[in-house]
Amino acid sequence: MTSLVVRMMAVMVCMAAALSAQSASKNGFPRLANGKPDLTGVWQSGSTQPGEWEEANSGLGVGGTGRNPNAPATLSSNDRPAGREGAPYQPWAAAKVVEAFNRRGIDDPTALCLPPGLPRTAMLGLFPTQIIQRPEQVVILYEYMSVFRVIPITSKHPDDILPSYMGNSIGRWDGDTLVVDVTGFNDKTWLAGTGTFHSDKLHITERYTRVSKDRINYEVTMEDPTVLTKPWKLESSLMLREGTRLQEYVCPENNLDPERFEKLLKEGVKFTR
Amino acid sequence: MARWMSRKWGLGLTLLLVTVPLEAHHSFGAEYDVTKPLTLTGVITKVEWTNPHSYFYVDVKDASGKVANWKFEGYPPSVLSRTGWKKDVTMKVGDTVTVFAWHARDGSNLAHSREVTLPGGKKLFFGPPAGTGDGGAAPAVDVK
Repeated sequence: MTSLVVRMMAVMVCMAAALSAQSASKNGFPRLANGKPDLTGVWQSGSTQPGEWEEANSGLGVGGTGRNPNAPATLSSNDRPAGREGAPYQPWAAAKVVEAFNRRGIDDPTALCLPPGLPRTAMLGLFPTQIIQRPEQVVILYEYMSVFRVIPITSKHPDDILPSYMGNSIGRWDGDTLVVDVTGFNDKTWLAGTGTFHSDKLHITERYTRVSKDRINYEVTMEDPTVLTKPWKLESSLMLREGTRLQEYVCPENNLDPERFEKLLKEGVKFTR
Repeated sequence: MARWMSRKWGLGLTLLLVTVPLEAHHSFGAEYDVTKPLTLTGVITKVEWTNPHSYFYVDVKDASGKVANWKFEGYPPSVLSRTGWKKDVTMKVGDTVTVFAWHARDGSNLAHSREVTLPGGKKLFFGPPAGTGDGGAAPAVDVK
């Protein structure tokens, strides 16, 4: 009798495991038991190179490992990639963006170790991003500045949002695409590039579409009628980096930038464009 | 040689346009002068694996035999460890290294490191490319 109970329990455990197990879809990436694409994993944004971190970043990627000393110069999240359309700022706001550019980014909020905000955090490539997905919520951990997002799958933002650097995110599924609606920002971050400021009216919509085992396509739309003339859309991708783990990043540990910027200004050292 | 180099760089630029990876680093372009590259050889006196940026210090002897201690800035620890560096192993106090870097705008013995040639000849990048974080070739908005 006892052995029968044990055997029945074992069968039930196996059935439960099978129900919750990820199953590979026809595109070669896993899905949750609810059928939604599973975005769980460690990813590198701003890259299109498949493979493990060191392999993908040697030569081509973020500065290389030194195997290829002629590795092309890569761009900072502050730098506008070739071919990117100009950001649709209102004329008065565009003048402020240019001013920050001419000051070579010394007003960058991250130079004070403040959270980088969105979509900047979601698009930078030097540091890995970990996504943990469950049916009821998606959690995104960013190594850079140790920031995180908890994204419940729900239709309504809370009604007691406090303005924040990373905003308040909620998710919904549009077919196989995770659509994240973000609001509740403060006005202390840059969007995507030197001086790309915004107001606390910023509203962001992100679309995460896993198109293969290795890749998630990322599309973001920024709306801010206070500073922009129309929605600003950008596209990027996240590449799976198996074997990479997130590490600690404690920015204030030895941040010498503010002191140095102050010194440059005080001593009248020419650094502006 | 020149032709080989230009072909190599041409290929690199093409790949860059296709891949466009993005980094997070700030400040290098404001603090360091891209028009003042340096190549210095000397002996490591200290290595600091710290955030947001790491540093190492090198005693460099000039032609007259006078020694000056130079400070070099570079990537944070997590980036170094993902791109081939091992803390306290790859580069140690007492090692003789050659550093390719860009001089600080304030003219002090401070530079932004890029490529380090280690004892034995292996080369690794300790810091990002010149100008990283200073806004790039054009502002985010189109200037009319």
